[in-house]
Amino acid sequence: MNITVKIKRFDPEKDDAARWESYSVEADKMDRALDVLMDIKWHHDGSLTFRKSCAHGVCGSDAMKINGENKLACSVLLQDLVKEGGTLTFEPLPAASVIKDLVVDQSGFFEKYRAVMPWLINDSPAPEKERYQSAEDHEIIEEATKCILCGACTHSCPSTWADPDYLGPAALLKAYRYVFDTRDEESEERLKIVDSPNGLWKCYTIFNCVQACPKEIDITRWLSALKRKAVTTRF
Amino acid sequence: MASEVLEVQPKPMTRYRVRTGMFAWMLHRLTGLALVGYLILHVWGLKSMTDPDAYNYLITKYHGPLFKLGEFLLLGAVIYHALNGLRIVLIDFVGWSPNQKKLFWTLGAVAAVLFVVGGYPSIAALVDFLRS
Repeated sequence: MNITVKIKRFDPEKDDAARWESYSVEADKMDRALDVLMDIKWHHDGSLTFRKSCAHGVCGSDAMKINGENKLACSVLLQDLVKEGGTLTFEPLPAASVIKDLVVDQSGFFEKYRAVMPWLINDSPAPEKERYQSAEDHEIIEEATKCILCGACTHSCPSTWADPDYLGPAALLKAYRYVFDTRDEESEERLKIVDSPNGLWKCYTIFNCVQACPKEIDITRWLSALKRKAVTTRF
Repeated sequence: MASEVLEVQPKPMTRYRVRTGMFAWMLHRLTGLALVGYLILHVWGLKSMTDPDAYNYLITKYHGPLFKLGEFLLLGAVIYHALNGLRIVLIDFVGWSPNQKKLFWTLGAVAAVLFVVGGYPSIAALVDFLRS
């Protein structure tokens, strides 16, 4: 099928502001959105810049705004995005500085991630084999462990757009993942971090994050559980 | 090459595809602001209670078509804000997040019924006014 691809481009060495560029591309309906970008880079315009690595929805490098909402370019097929002769648009993730074309500055995103202490804290002596977690206990955090840190959710959140310091769904989901991990012993410190003006209470259950998540994690559900935990825990 | 890194800075607002959840939130904000606006008008109207003439004048104004339309909109704002508030409570306190879209449309149907029933006197008054 023949489609028009519109890409919001920005070259810091040439442009003062972002500009739209259009390409006419021949593609298959079973192609992924990422295939279209690679085709443009390889055959039409080598200066096009975007981030990609594994191209199979594991590394989380190619989150971007596709057709007006955040998606993972390697995890969406053209048949679900555009019709024959239609237009497909690519923009960088909103609420982040654009470094070049579709590449955004992710340092803020990962700072927020580190802020919730995304590691297991358990100071008791390590057992001989492993810190055992039963299947039932793992079930509680199973869905939250599927996060690949692509940033589609955090950058889709109107609270993040309005307040760059808001921790955002990805970091808060990570906090949930450790607070509800039965092996973790330091949930109080983490709860204090998320129970702050820039934390949980800026989640207004808008559900853009759930819509954007390529791993179909019901982020709002787990953030609500974290909210309930935060209000029922005495510090 | 200069060491200064030029970047396109993020904006606090962005064009984004509006799905059920964001639509519900935007309408909740709008109706919330409208209700605050109404509250100011309402309290301002109350101050005339100390003067019978001013009060009667205000009440006759309230029977005018513009206020009947306003009443209708107020009812809509109250119903929506209350029911969506209930939806948010169910999501946050009961964990009904997986059903948020169904919840929105179900409560939307309830809102429509309440709107028609509760709005009937206002519509009737407006129709009477337009006929006379």
